[in-house]
Amino acid sequence: MAGDRDFYQVLGVPRTASQEEIQRAYRKLARAYHPDVNSDPAAEERFKQVSEAYDVLSDPQARRRYDAFGPDFRQVPEDVDPDDWARARAGSAGRAGTGRTEGGFSFGSDVDLDDLLGGLFGGRAGGAGRGWGPIPGADQEAELEVSVEEAYRGGRRTITLQGPGGTRTLDVTIPAGVTNGQRIRLAGQGGQGSDGARAGDLYLVVSIAPHPRYRVQGRDLYVELRLAPWEAALGTSVAVDTPGGEAKVKVPAGTSSGRRLRLRGRGLPSPRGHSGDLYAEARIMVPARPSRAERQAFEELAKISDFDPRRVP
Amino acid sequence: MTYALVRPARLDLDAFARATGCHPELICRLVTLGILDAEHSPSGALLLAPAQIRAMARVQRLRAGFGLNYSAVGLVTDLLDRIAVLERELRRTRHPGG
Repeated sequence: MAGDRDFYQVLGVPRTASQEEIQRAYRKLARAYHPDVNSDPAAEERFKQVSEAYDVLSDPQARRRYDAFGPDFRQVPEDVDPDDWARARAGSAGRAGTGRTEGGFSFGSDVDLDDLLGGLFGGRAGGAGRGWGPIPGADQEAELEVSVEEAYRGGRRTITLQGPGGTRTLDVTIPAGVTNGQRIRLAGQGGQGSDGARAGDLYLVVSIAPHPRYRVQGRDLYVELRLAPWEAALGTSVAVDTPGGEAKVKVPAGTSSGRRLRLRGRGLPSPRGHSGDLYAEARIMVPARPSRAERQAFEELAKISDFDPRRVP
Repeated sequence: MTYALVRPARLDLDAFARATGCHPELICRLVTLGILDAEHSPSGALLLAPAQIRAMARVQRLRAGFGLNYSAVGLVTDLLDRIAVLERELRRTRHPGG
């Protein structure tokens, strides 16, 4: 629980901080982690900690009791002397396993901080928290990086997110044909609502990871097609790998570098409408160290050809 | 081919107030400030789309979290929406596949 952490540490202020310093620290942190400003699921927990800490430290009486009794201050009756309390705690320290009864003070079983604080937004934070009733939780966003192959086929993924109550894992179904920037909505998995109000939604924003072979543009895929000069000049048929399996590309005679040969419908599928296309981009390669025979053949070609690639057509 | 006429889902002021737990007067004020979007029925009554419940929850959270007055809430929500658009744009530029 968030209450286990030292409130001064949470706000990043020394124990001697003035009320003004505490308020300044809280305001800065609240602006950074408020669920409507920061949609990262981890920010919700941080904001909750910050609000709890501010709730206590901004109230001089609660702060005095926190300083005297520590994190358990809410469970200590009002009329207890801090010195008696310290002695009682020291005396009971050796008695392991005494549960929640120490030094003669009887505690209720696990007190829920949320109940005491009135939930995430019910506290004094900002001075306007009271009187709203239940407030639904904010929507959250997290990035989901998928490979081109996953985007093509779809699949399942287990993701781990930080949030109130620790980390949680979610099984996510990635629909086939997701594109960059597409948002997958997980209803009710966003920020918690206060006082039993419904939670917000979690949106996973798809990001297709860079691929060594494929470049993705929308639903279209681009792949480099390396050709020997004679293949490009005479035409050929080449096998290329696509996420859906091998496909044959017919290279017409007279293909120069940069020409795009389209394989219709071999890009990322679309749940609605038509699938993207795969474009094989011709790139003519020459042997770095031609053999004697190859060199002779190229020299022969250079002699008989009047082709000038730099001539403007 | 014939199509059925479908009335878009809208909540009247009382239904919206019940759904959000807010006073109808506050809702009218937020509509006047342009923080909530509403339409008027032919009889002049306010009608709000269900999506505005989400907008109202954000107003509540921002006000509770920062103690903002309603004009400031309007400014903050506008800025947050603009940032969201810019972030989406930025993502698209970084990953041209958008």
